[in-house]
Amino acid sequence: MRRIAVVTLVVALAAGALAGWGSAAHRGGASPTAGAVAPKPKPKVTKPKLPPLPSAIRRRKKFEIGVKCDFPPFGFIDVRGNNDGYDVQTARRFAQLAFGSKKKVDLVCVTTPSRIPTLTSSRVDIIISTLTWTSARADVIDFSIPYYSATGRLLVPNSSSIHNVSDLGGKTIVTTRGALYATWTRNCFKSSKLLEVDSPSAAVLAVKNGQADTFMFDDAFLLGVATQDPTLKLTRDKFLNIPWGIGIRKGDTATARWVNAAIRYMKKRDEFVKILRSNAPARLVGDFLDNVPRPKSNFQYPVGKDPVSDCSSR
Amino acid sequence: MPLPVGTLPSWVGPVAHYMAHDGVPETLRIAAFAVTGSMIVGIVLGTLLTIRFLPLRSLIRLYIEIWRGLPIVITIFIVFYALPSAPLIHHRFSPFTGAALGLVLWGSAQVAEATRGAVQSIPREQHEAASALGFGWVGRHGSVILPQALRRLLPPLVGLLVNVLQNTTIASIIGVTELLATGQRSTERLAYSSGDSHALAIYGALMGAFFAISFPLTRLAIFLERRLV
Amino acid sequence: MTLLASLDWHFIREHIPEFARALKRTLEVAGIGIAGASAIGVVLGAVRAHRIPVLSQLAAVYVEVIRNTPILVQIFLLAYGLPQLPGHHIILQPFTVGWLSVTIWGGAFNTENFRAGFEAVPGRFREAGRALGFGRLGTFLNVTLPIGGRIALPSSINTYISVLKNTSLLTAVGYAELTNTGYSLESVTFKAPEIFFVLGATYLVVVWTLSILIRLLESRLALPEAR
Repeated sequence: MRRIAVVTLVVALAAGALAGWGSAAHRGGASPTAGAVAPKPKPKVTKPKLPPLPSAIRRRKKFEIGVKCDFPPFGFIDVRGNNDGYDVQTARRFAQLAFGSKKKVDLVCVTTPSRIPTLTSSRVDIIISTLTWTSARADVIDFSIPYYSATGRLLVPNSSSIHNVSDLGGKTIVTTRGALYATWTRNCFKSSKLLEVDSPSAAVLAVKNGQADTFMFDDAFLLGVATQDPTLKLTRDKFLNIPWGIGIRKGDTATARWVNAAIRYMKKRDEFVKILRSNAPARLVGDFLDNVPRPKSNFQYPVGKDPVSDCSSR
Repeated sequence: MPLPVGTLPSWVGPVAHYMAHDGVPETLRIAAFAVTGSMIVGIVLGTLLTIRFLPLRSLIRLYIEIWRGLPIVITIFIVFYALPSAPLIHHRFSPFTGAALGLVLWGSAQVAEATRGAVQSIPREQHEAASALGFGWVGRHGSVILPQALRRLLPPLVGLLVNVLQNTTIASIIGVTELLATGQRSTERLAYSSGDSHALAIYGALMGAFFAISFPLTRLAIFLERRLV
Repeated sequence: MTLLASLDWHFIREHIPEFARALKRTLEVAGIGIAGASAIGVVLGAVRAHRIPVLSQLAAVYVEVIRNTPILVQIFLLAYGLPQLPGHHIILQPFTVGWLSVTIWGGAFNTENFRAGFEAVPGRFREAGRALGFGRLGTFLNVTLPIGGRIALPSSINTYISVLKNTSLLTAVGYAELTNTGYSLESVTFKAPEIFFVLGATYLVVVWTLSILIRLLESRLALPEAR
């Protein structure tokens, strides 16, 4: 009798585990659905003339896109538990351009260190995740044409003695792990102490708690923090103005062609400004109009130069 | 100031929903994968460990000492970040698979050790009786030794389940959105939008949730240990 | 061997000083954690073994809560929850969060180790102590502790080794120990095989050395009956 109970218990546990494993493999693997299906009949709305979608994405009939989940206003989780932000809305617009619906995209949370391996493992098709161009990253993945351009700023407590980057000697600088500011600090601020944390939120806390003297980071996030927190402010200097790109696997030319065409399409119709307006507080939008691609703008990656090794701007 | 239960602060509902709806299933998925994998690999390796063949035993012993000696986060980093570049192995894993496999490597080492102990605790008389009845090595182990050993494995296996569940939190470090990560995202969202992260309440609630699941399982393991051995 | 040959050894050599400094910080935190866990284990283990009223129950709650919750959540609670304690706003530096969290964690497991050890001391030894004129505390210090402590040695060794391994999780709160340093370096250089090979090898060497050293100690300290 006892043996039967034990065996039943073991079998039940194993069955439950296998069921969980089965559903896990299904979610974790994200393999494209087998068999080519006839494409949906095009809706009456005039579709933009974009290059053909890569076959894996077309067969799956939705995008898998890696986005940040801890970096407002670009990628974060809103109060209802849904992804939102500038990057996320760009991703949804891609889904709409490709399949006619903003819902045809699976958004996968990535962190700065994990976004490139998540892309190269093919877990996602592309990453729209606050990815600044650096030559080290460009060695590992391909970048789309720019879709945003951020500038570095310093967040300090109101009472801080730091007024610009030349005051950083001997101070503790906090930034997120793997950010280009970390590399720049290592290269150009050797007398400063570098503290790396895993989320922008933790970095703000480090400044407020006195564990760091300043948070060096992208302007969009920092401005939002400073506006909302009266004990913190930004210094005047701006540095490391480098565009962001969408991460694409090296050699995946079909995806690159589609993504670049989509960005050009959105840029021509000034759609990035619309996305900016829905993600930045109204009074700050003016500060960022120069950061988004507009019909006449021309963002370039600093190919050939490596700004994070360039210490002359100190 | 006493609060009637019905008037929880407004931030609680959305956070609880997000954590329960997104975080809990992911944690359970990782745990299911890790426990199943650890059991299968671990029981096989543990049984093989009892064979008197030094090269095999040494290899398995090395496996066990490595995956038990390394911190789990390092194992996960190796699987997710380093393995893709290693010659021969070029395969890249998604964060979920990388974390789950890392847990399997560690878990299987634990199970292998426990299985060896369980198999070796079966008295010699059982082996001799089975041989006398005409069983070969495989038959002896399959029909007589392992069933008894597996029963003795039940308490450590329940212990493994508890440990795996707790260690799924390490997956958050490489970006898997399991329960702890959903808590972190919630504190970040609250801090950014309202200035108060409510970290004390959220991490406290996480402690409570894990305790509520682990404590009964630990008691079950102790109970099984007393009854089955 | 081809795996080893394919690594960028120049990169590794370049960063050895950085890793060495990080290892030092790991050992510092682990050292404090082990010392603290020993102290907590002996004291609370004795409290539990002697069933001292009230304190014994409180210790039991401490042990069960810590053992049944993930250490990473405990770390976050200390780092991000304490600053929100109403009225007290306790803000800890990463180093403090580091040694405090592993001490609390190790202390809980060690309490159980020493409790089992003390309870395993044969009753006749304690009676002998009383017969010799020792009071309760004297019996404990001269009989139960030395003997029970040695019985508890294997399990407390495992706890101390786990304390060392758990320092790797302090990555999450920005304490610059070995894992954090390696992880940050990988995030900018992408040289994952080199970095995690060094990290893995370092942890294994430290853990295995500790393991062997302490088992040698154990065989020297073992009770005459056990030898």
